Amino acid sequence: MLAEIGLFALVATFCATLYSIFACVWGEQRNLPNLVLSGRNAAVFTFLSLTLATGVLLIALVTQQYQIHYIWSVSNPDMPMIYRVTALWGSQAGSLLFWSFLMSGFTAVAIWRNWNTNRRLMPYAIAYMMAVLAFFVGLSLFVENPFVRYWIVGGEVVQTTLIPAGANIPPYENLASSARGLNPLLRHFGMAIHPPLLYLGFVGFVIPFAFAMSALASGDLSSNWIKATRNWTLIAWLFLSLGLLLGGRWAYDVLGWGGYWGWDPVENAAFLPWLTGTAFLHSVMIQEKRGMLKLWNMFLVIGTFSAVIFGTFATRSGLIESVHSFARSGVGFPMFTFWAVLTIISLWLILWRNRRGELRDDREFINLMSRESLFVLNNVIFMALFLAIFWGSFGAPIISELFMGTEITLGVEYFAQVTTPMFFALYLLMGIAPLAAWGSISLPRLGRALLVPVALTVLTVIGFALAGMNSPGALLAYGVVSLGGYVALYETYRGAAARTKRGESPLVALGNLIKRNPRRYGGYLVHFGVTIIGIGVIGSTLYQQETQRTLAEGESLNIGNYELRYDRFDGGQVTQDGRIMDIANVTVIRNGREITTLRPRRDFFPTGQEGMNSMTIAGAHSTLENDFYVLLVAWEQIDQNTATFKVYVNPLINLVWWGGGILILGTIMTTWQTNVVPQRVRNPAYSGDRVRATA
Amino acid sequence: MKYITILLLCLLVSVPAALAQEITEDAVNQIAKRMYCPVCENIPLDACGTAACEDWREEIRLMLEAGMTEEEIRVDFVERFGDRVVGTPQNPVLRGLSLFTPWVLAGVVALVAMTTFARWGRRNQQVANVASQPDTTNDTQKDYRALLEQDLRGDVS
Repeated sequence: MLAEIGLFALVATFCATLYSIFACVWGEQRNLPNLVLSGRNAAVFTFLSLTLATGVLLIALVTQQYQIHYIWSVSNPDMPMIYRVTALWGSQAGSLLFWSFLMSGFTAVAIWRNWNTNRRLMPYAIAYMMAVLAFFVGLSLFVENPFVRYWIVGGEVVQTTLIPAGANIPPYENLASSARGLNPLLRHFGMAIHPPLLYLGFVGFVIPFAFAMSALASGDLSSNWIKATRNWTLIAWLFLSLGLLLGGRWAYDVLGWGGYWGWDPVENAAFLPWLTGTAFLHSVMIQEKRGMLKLWNMFLVIGTFSAVIFGTFATRSGLIESVHSFARSGVGFPMFTFWAVLTIISLWLILWRNRRGELRDDREFINLMSRESLFVLNNVIFMALFLAIFWGSFGAPIISELFMGTEITLGVEYFAQVTTPMFFALYLLMGIAPLAAWGSISLPRLGRALLVPVALTVLTVIGFALAGMNSPGALLAYGVVSLGGYVALYETYRGAAARTKRGESPLVALGNLIKRNPRRYGGYLVHFGVTIIGIGVIGSTLYQQETQRTLAEGESLNIGNYELRYDRFDGGQVTQDGRIMDIANVTVIRNGREITTLRPRRDFFPTGQEGMNSMTIAGAHSTLENDFYVLLVAWEQIDQNTATFKVYVNPLINLVWWGGGILILGTIMTTWQTNVVPQRVRNPAYSGDRVRATA
Repeated sequence: MKYITILLLCLLVSVPAALAQEITEDAVNQIAKRMYCPVCENIPLDACGTAACEDWREEIRLMLEAGMTEEEIRVDFVERFGDRVVGTPQNPVLRGLSLFTPWVLAGVVALVAMTTFARWGRRNQQVANVASQPDTTNDTQKDYRALLEQDLRGDVS
């Protein structure tokens, strides 16, 4: 009965999306407001029906309905409740349904927030949102249906969506005992929230995409669509950033190679829309403040969503094999077709409007030395990064296999070589662009503004050199990365200091400063977070130490100024969820003093008929200075007396996570509303402003 | 003589054993780290936990013990499993294509940006030139006004 309800909800959703598209487009074309209204209501209905469908699948997971194939493939009786819930997105069919559910929720909220304030844009925006939703729900209905069930028909076991004639339900005990359970790599706290956050980021970009397309379709090409979607873009970017950070943390904790970013194609597929989204967040400021880059912003917002769909296609189709590709099936061709059609239609609309002259900028670029120009340079570098990473992840391997018959992998060496100079340039720009004025700024003035941040940067570099990180490349990297952070801090300090001269205390001054312009100071905080991440990346990449040794009980190994002593082995520990754990107990010693004990282990998960899956869990001692990270590896057969350990010392790695937290906080700050009237409204006569001469 | 022979035999046995002990797990991982599992793609060979990868790491150890260099080991793996086991293509054309294409693409993007800036700069210059030319509209307007006033007075020239 549950599966029937879920299936019915999916069918109802699919019908509602198609009706909504028709009603909104036809109603808007024919000026039939009631029809448009019914299309809107159908769009809101999809959220209710997908909540029902998703809820049904969740209930089936929790109540262990193994007759449903999806439940059988991602769950088993021994799994704890938390993982039965997270199994909702543990494989292809469930994750597609979950994706659709999140998208419908975003759509409903977008309609609720914008129906009255952006009435002209809403019909086409709803139509585009529903078009995307219709595709994904269609995938769930026709390709990867999560409600397919096992039946016994004529003595054979079959999998069907609808009940076949003469079918019997297979015995529950048989299904339960053979159920596969969740992939062990996904049984980690990071996987409880990493996919939902990533999906929220991906589907969040549907909203600005739909509004941009609506602006193109309706002809309302003012900044209305940007104002309607600015916070949506920020929220989508926020979730995408969180998803990427948590994905890195998951990789660090469970993949067992001591790192957090391997330039894996699926990692890169999520990183690509982040790059274009970041470029868009910067260049959209130019359109808001100066009425420039309209055409480019259209390309960016549509390109971001196109990158989301392409990344989803690449991940789920098996186009590129990856440790992350835990779910692959026949969605490849439909998804590729959808991506191609969507991108072509979007590009055609942009070019059509541009040919009609409707995407002309309101103002000219006056001076190369201006904030606008530096933001454009920022976009150029982001695009260069995008192209380099796309080429390395997809372009080169696909072209090589298709046209030269050779399978290649472009690994860490390629990405390090190509992207490092681009990241350098980006960090340098992050230090300079915030100090440039809108319109124009002279070089001497820019130089004066940079004096204090540069001085602080030099002191920082000296500090790193004295701390022993003294290779020229590392010092240059620390310098370039630190500059942006110091500019952000110094500008914030200057603003607060100016307010303290009016009698406010420093804390009150800082609070009022942020309240007055949360976008600016939230942006500075984001830049500061990016700086902290950069310092963590440099330290953990350039100065990582590693070693691997087989030790007998009581024996020690040395790495850096640490000593690791192997104390004892606790093998065959069985947990409540049926895992078998082999645990090594080790003591970490530094300068002759025991600082902690760690318990790196290997977990084995029985999987019914298929034997055992295993996972390696590191033991780590984390401080600001570094992570002391120990893995119990299977170099040779582990017995009671000897064990093989792989040990890493990762300097400054925790700055990556803390920097990420600062970035998230800054992003949240930028979404705060302010009641302060912007200066351009209070005083429209900017210096250096020039309006385009009439043709 | 007997004792010298025994001593020589002991040396002959111990030297290879001593050499073998020099191949540490770190030495093997140093090479395996820069290669990828031939089966589970995009997983570094030193991090892959499968039995097959353990065997391949053992192979690397034996190759090192036999005196092979890192480059020779990589070539051997590429011959058996293809380019995908190393991080960069071995074919010079493919390697060049892989490494230079992103810079070419970045250059194209930069060129488009610079061309756009140059166009804006020329347009600004044109607007500035127009602004600096003497304004003749006032003279024209004066003549027109004079003619109009003449017509209104009924003068016929």
